[in-house]
Amino acid sequence: MSKKGTSAFILQRASAVILAPLSIWFLFEIVSALTADYATARAWLSVPLNAALLGAFFIIGALHMRIGLAEIIVDYVHSWAKDVLLFINWLAALGLIAAAAWSIYTIFFAG
Amino acid sequence: MADGAASKRPLSPHLQIWRFTVTLAASITHRGTGVVLYGGLLLMALWVIGLALSPELFAAVSAIIHSPLGFILIVGFVWSLLFHLMNGLRHLYWDYGRGFAMKTATMTAWLVYIAATLATALIIWAGYGGGA
Repeated sequence: MSKKGTSAFILQRASAVILAPLSIWFLFEIVSALTADYATARAWLSVPLNAALLGAFFIIGALHMRIGLAEIIVDYVHSWAKDVLLFINWLAALGLIAAAAWSIYTIFFAG
Repeated sequence: MADGAASKRPLSPHLQIWRFTVTLAASITHRGTGVVLYGGLLLMALWVIGLALSPELFAAVSAIIHSPLGFILIVGFVWSLLFHLMNGLRHLYWDYGRGFAMKTATMTAWLVYIAATLATALIIWAGYGGGA
């Protein structure tokens, strides 16, 4: 993470500013979406606005959470495990972005 | 710092050194809720993958969502997101060099705990069809 401090600091704040309004939308929608049955949930994610905003929430959220957890790892882990954990942290964020983007794309274009 | 353990450089004082205050609690809770949201987002990825891949996988995820454990996870996720969102606004305000006065910081910390809890109750009530 050396010499990446400033860009991480800025990305953390920029993503926070975007996530704030996205989260408000998310909080209004998510409980009824998560508790819906299969057909209702697919219909909900086929609405363009819902697909776009949920996709944005996942992708920007993944970037934000990666920086946050890296900060915690660097604070508390001072052994060789630090680099391993930072790498797994990257994989988790990239995996989340890939899985969410693929799933939402598939559902949206399946109609 | 590859030789971290052997380094003579000082570490800043650890959690148990500080006197307990609500601002300290909010700081720890901000990190804690951040970790909860990390896990929650990964679990929610399972939900979208199931929704995209197969009704069977979706049914399995849905069964957990509708169990008591699922209810606890949803309440925990909603409270964590609300707390992290509101406390995050405190952090952004601090980034402008404002809101650091002891009275202000203490008041906003209490406010975040109370507002997050009230808003969680409202969202859970409405989300489970309480208003309909």
